[in-house]
Amino acid sequence: MSLSQPKMSVAELKERHLAATETLNNLKQRLNQTRRSLLDTDIAGYARSQGKSAVTFGPTDLVCCRTLQGHTGKVYSLDWTSERNRIVSASQDGRLIVWNALTRQKIHAIKLPCAWVMTTAFSPTGQSVACGGLDSVCSIFNLNSTTDKDGNLPVSRMLSGHKGYISSCQYVPDEDTHLITGSGDQTCVLWDITTGLKTSVFGGEFQSGHTADVLSISINGSNSRIFASGSCDATARLWDTRVASRAVRTFHGHEGDVNSVKFFPDGNRFGTGSDDGTCRLFDIRTGHQLQVYCQKHSDNDIPPVTSIAFSISGRLLFAGYTNGDCYVWDTLLAKVVLNLGSLQDSHEGRISCLGLAADGSALCTGSWDTNLKIWAFGGHRRVV
Amino acid sequence: MMAISSPKGSGVGSPKAPTLPLPSPKAPPGYPDLYGKRREISRLHMLEREISFLEEELKSSEGFQPASRCCKEIDDFVMAKADPLLPTKKKKSRSSRFWKWLCCTPCSTLCSCLCCCCCCEPRCCDGCSKHLSLPSCSCCQHLRQCSCCKCVTPKSNCCRGSNSGCCKGSCGCQNCCIPPSCKCLSCCSCKCSCSCTCPTCPKLPQSCCCIKSCWSPCCCC
Repeated sequence: MSLSQPKMSVAELKERHLAATETLNNLKQRLNQTRRSLLDTDIAGYARSQGKSAVTFGPTDLVCCRTLQGHTGKVYSLDWTSERNRIVSASQDGRLIVWNALTRQKIHAIKLPCAWVMTTAFSPTGQSVACGGLDSVCSIFNLNSTTDKDGNLPVSRMLSGHKGYISSCQYVPDEDTHLITGSGDQTCVLWDITTGLKTSVFGGEFQSGHTADVLSISINGSNSRIFASGSCDATARLWDTRVASRAVRTFHGHEGDVNSVKFFPDGNRFGTGSDDGTCRLFDIRTGHQLQVYCQKHSDNDIPPVTSIAFSISGRLLFAGYTNGDCYVWDTLLAKVVLNLGSLQDSHEGRISCLGLAADGSALCTGSWDTNLKIWAFGGHRRVV
Repeated sequence: MMAISSPKGSGVGSPKAPTLPLPSPKAPPGYPDLYGKRREISRLHMLEREISFLEEELKSSEGFQPASRCCKEIDDFVMAKADPLLPTKKKKSRSSRFWKWLCCTPCSTLCSCLCCCCCCEPRCCDGCSKHLSLPSCSCCQHLRQCSCCKCVTPKSNCCRGSNSGCCKGSCGCQNCCIPPSCKCLSCCSCKCSCSCTCPTCPKLPQSCCCIKSCWSPCCCC
């Protein structure tokens, strides 16, 4: 039907609309039935059938080795460098801090043009950091720049164009010149940092995409053309940067905002964390929901998941919650094997962000208590 | 239309200016509501597009593998990959050295470990070999309170000249007092280092220990 041929009346259009809706619902039902028939097991069921037992941690196996103190406001986001020992953190005290994780030294303290920052990311080479927030702009800082007369690092590029807040950002792996952002305007954007222009827009008014705020994105480490997004519309979507007009696949299942998405280390799955208190693992090729990670609480009040991260093998899923818990899930057995929130020197507030070091040797958590903490294996390791 | 009397505040009773009819609501114009129609068409387009996407997905789902095969792939991947955060046997590798750095700084001249359990190797207490003979460390119970002094030997070897209260459980002894430059009264109170011999404080005898903290210069003792 063409817009230049408005011969059909509005009433007829509404009738067609109803018919199309019914067709759509029937197709969804058929697709769900097909999916259900293929869901012959979940990961925990499979692992149990193989006789697997859950990971067990001793009392001092995973310990807090460092506390990074310096922010005066809630920490909202963090990211490690590829070279593994520097971290950038963003706080609503209006600063980014670049830390040496080993020494706890603050290498840079960057005053931001807008204090309401929500996300930050390190470039693959570690030369730049990006951040964004309620100003709807993604700001890039070159860490090698000369500071201005006030001692502040200047903004080297501003990526403007989103019509809503920037909730998440990540550099495309191995490309300091490209970055993807997720936004409250329901879109994700691939940017060319050199020109400051949008390369592609994923979703939005005229394209098939999220129908509510995008809260999180994760780029596939095995194939950087593929990324996943999580949204307030309770879905996660998979995108191919070569095809911006529509999502490759939409993943249903969650019953609340999808606050965090993270690719599984093998690149063929991704995890999600949601306001419904569960984490889920989805297969990108089939769309199967392979596992739900849900911890029952005695008071039936399940705290929302704010952020997730996988260990380098994928055996462990770290999930931060609004009540300060940080569960360590055995991804194969779908059991909580440790709660970092109950350990000595744990955070005193909500865990807002998590990140694993590039070599998988440490986990950094950021919290509304203004601190970051680094957790690493502190136990005995029998050497073969 | 009848002329209506002047609206309020317009100088009622002024006979000179002719009164204009007040605007009154009119019925919507008779031309087609294209905005509404266009919106409906747009919504229909979106629905039809969603239908085609679902039809494609339904067709491709015929070739999907069952979930059990995905689970097997995950299991195989996880079991094959080494993970520094897992408490399992593993071969020592270069990457494992980093986590030791992060969790446990090697003993320097201060002979301190940040994470006792990581210190449980001889290498951790290498720097303490001057005043300790350590074939091995045993795990310290208190994190970040690890002192090489605590890590094995009889206390008398650890803090010579000090009282036996030195290097007890929670003692934050950062460096065992090394004679003859320092004379510790108690390792717990005397975080003694060679800053006792501070050349800028000539009044202080060589053997004076910084009582409060070694982070203070000798002059502040």
